[in-house]
Amino acid sequence: MDTHATQEQQATQVWLGLVLLTLGSAWLGETLASVGVTAALVALIVGIKGFLVIRHYMGLAEPGSRLRQVMRLYFVVVPVLILLAGVTTG
Amino acid sequence: MELAMTAHADGSALAGRVPGNRGIWVGILCELTEFALMFLAYAWFKSGHPEDFHRGPAMLLTAAGVANTVVMLTSGYFAVRALLAIRRNDARSARNWLIGTLLGGVAFLLIKAWEFSWNIDHGVVGTGNSFVAMYYYLTFNHLVHVVWGCLGLIWAILRTQFGAYSPEDHDGLEAATLYWHATDLAWIVIFPLLYVVK
Repeated sequence: MDTHATQEQQATQVWLGLVLLTLGSAWLGETLASVGVTAALVALIVGIKGFLVIRHYMGLAEPGSRLRQVMRLYFVVVPVLILLAGVTTG
Repeated sequence: MELAMTAHADGSALAGRVPGNRGIWVGILCELTEFALMFLAYAWFKSGHPEDFHRGPAMLLTAAGVANTVVMLTSGYFAVRALLAIRRNDARSARNWLIGTLLGGVAFLLIKAWEFSWNIDHGVVGTGNSFVAMYYYLTFNHLVHVVWGCLGLIWAILRTQFGAYSPEDHDGLEAATLYWHATDLAWIVIFPLLYVVK
């Protein structure tokens, strides 16, 4: 399989993963009674989705890239905020 | 601002290649900073009015939020396919994938309009409830960014149609798709804050 076909296949798999994570988080919100547990799982899902988009959609793949580090840091800090907002008010 | 933007004349960077161009990353980082402040405001008002935020998600049309998230992610996928197409020198496919991306943006706006109309019919208005006010502030702001993104995509579609991009030179197309992904990233956070977390 050539490089382009592999990249297209990978992009399709990432898209599928992102959609499944979205449906999973919506399902959690509908079914889980514990606000704290929901916030923790949703924060984790937001972090994973953010990392996937940054890596595979935006193409920030260079390990040493500061831009990549800043973008990934955003998706560490924001999920922590979601978690704290959920735990402290749940 | 240093980041990875210490680019050389050939477009390479000291700490790795910067996708798109420097200008679009200034816009993206400003956009994400703006949304980060709004997420802080969300946390602030949630701590002050926990009852509004606990009951808030149940007031909204969850199906519209899920549909819009799937539409944004799918549209982002089309944008990736457009970039891959231009890199293999297939401008026609790239243009078509970009049109698909744009249609995703239009679908997002139509779903949002339907959702706002549903909200009004069901009394979900932004007066007297901190959650609902936050919901409108976040979603209207995001909507504005979607409109900007759509305008950028239209520009990239026209440029692709008229042969402006090649496998070696397609920074403009990549910049339009990067902005689109940044708008997607903001929605990835907004969706659970408004529709999932109580």
